[in-house]
Amino acid sequence: MKNSHLLSPNQIKEKARRIRKKIIEMNSHAGAGHTGADLSETDILAVLYFHILGVHPARIGDPDRDRFILSKGHGVGGLYCTLAEAGFFDEPWLQTYLQAGSHLPGHPVRQKTPGVEFNTGALGHGLPVAFGLALSAKKQKLPWKTYVLLGDGELGEGSNWEAAMAAAHYKLDNLTVILDRNTLQLADRTEIIMQLEPLQKKWEAFGFEVHCVDGNNPEDLLNIFNTVQGDNGQPKLILARTTKGKGISFIEDKAAWHHRIPVGDEVFAAIKELE
Amino acid sequence: MRETMVDVLIEEAQAGTNLVVLVSDSTSTSKIKPFQEQFPEKLVNLGIAEQNMVGAAAGMALGGMIPITANAAPFLLGRSNEQVKNDICYSETNVKLVGLNPGFAYGALGPTHHSIDDISIMRGFGSISIFAPQDPQETTHLFQYMLHNEGPMYVRLDSISAESLAATREGFFPGKLTLHRQGEQLVIMALGTSIHPCLAAAETLQDAGIHTSVVGVSSIRPMDYDQLEQILRAHKTVLTVEEHSVHGGLGSLVAEVIAEKQLGTRLKRSGIDEGSFAPADPADAIRKRYRLDAEGIVGTVKELAGGEKR
Repeated sequence: MKNSHLLSPNQIKEKARRIRKKIIEMNSHAGAGHTGADLSETDILAVLYFHILGVHPARIGDPDRDRFILSKGHGVGGLYCTLAEAGFFDEPWLQTYLQAGSHLPGHPVRQKTPGVEFNTGALGHGLPVAFGLALSAKKQKLPWKTYVLLGDGELGEGSNWEAAMAAAHYKLDNLTVILDRNTLQLADRTEIIMQLEPLQKKWEAFGFEVHCVDGNNPEDLLNIFNTVQGDNGQPKLILARTTKGKGISFIEDKAAWHHRIPVGDEVFAAIKELE
Repeated sequence: MRETMVDVLIEEAQAGTNLVVLVSDSTSTSKIKPFQEQFPEKLVNLGIAEQNMVGAAAGMALGGMIPITANAAPFLLGRSNEQVKNDICYSETNVKLVGLNPGFAYGALGPTHHSIDDISIMRGFGSISIFAPQDPQETTHLFQYMLHNEGPMYVRLDSISAESLAATREGFFPGKLTLHRQGEQLVIMALGTSIHPCLAAAETLQDAGIHTSVVGVSSIRPMDYDQLEQILRAHKTVLTVEEHSVHGGLGSLVAEVIAEKQLGTRLKRSGIDEGSFAPADPADAIRKRYRLDAEGIVGTVKELAGGEKR
């Protein structure tokens, strides 16, 4: 299945702006959410859903679709706003985020939300599952691709490295891992909590084809995604350097905004920066 | 019983069932070699990496295959506990988890290799079916059922070689209890293969003039609670026998029903004591110590019967 939008970088930038606005409105309405994480990943999701992923709102269970898993499940707000923008459900649902009985709970739930492929929230789960998906496609000789978005903080979970080893061992060149490298986790800078670098060398040593990119630049992201679709027997790692809270000056690059939400005048200030 | 599982997997793969077997260096534990030789592409070895094995199984299920994981129960449910909970149960993926050599089957290798808590753990998770076949014949029926019915399932698969019993001939019926012997006053209820020493004990007891009912439990979830209640109402005393902690296993389940339905049935639970590990002793020695062999079951029933007379 092909992506039905195939937007240009400039059109994707506009989508990302609209998604960011939705994130601010949704989180402030809900009174909760992971604002920093949502904004960090927005450009990556916009590129995926509006150019790369072979998915369609009218064909959510189609076996030929590409699979996308949000391993950093706390970034679900960004995913919901992207799915709404891409037409997977009606925008008014965003007003129900985190409410009882809502289709939009605080972490992704595939049984509840059209377009959500897997239940995440606990960290270190997405890559093993994406590995299994990609392996099943290979075993069945099916052409669809698997994409998974990891947070950098969750690389502390050993399960990621088990799956990384296996993805290279089984030569899964149909698997693309995107690392949202914003250098912040819940408590502090990743490198203060637990040193992750040198990430490029680590993933290369694990057998991945690694591409470094500005993860908040749709044009760069698009170029990279378009260059990694080869059949060379290597899984792909897109090391996307991002800014947590990207797009709102007073939220950017601050650990405190991991799960803070804008309140009062902050909401108006944030929206103004996006208009 | 493992060989029986492998026979079914081979038959199903030959018939075109889209299954895949995942192991974590556990090709010998699972006796999977004959399957691997015929279907090398349907066997995925993840190495000693149980978390990835379970997550990968979830992914392969989402990709349209029917994954069966096969490794030692303690590592399946201990190391990959959160993957079982989130990736299989909560996500409701069509994965069949097989916990091999459960209970204290590894005997003297010790508690690192024991799994006397698997039923307790799995009962704590939503969505997943929980099975413990009693004999090879039921194992065949069970695996055929699992491969043709959607949803997450856990099987506690014992390694013992046991004879097939008359009462399991008809098939596997999820939730149903197996009535092996009809007696009076006292019913012995066994989890999975513990049925065998229970039936041997019932023979000995009959010779001593004590006629016990014997019921096998191979389906913990779903459970036919009406049938269970009927059985408990029909007897004054129930003895549960399981190679599991008395906490959270069959004994606990029966206790819940007796209490909630206010049945007043007297209950004795035989298993590993609450709050204890099974010792690092040979399995037979552990059975003897915790009165889980035929001789111990006879002794327990005689004590219970004596108590009834008083």
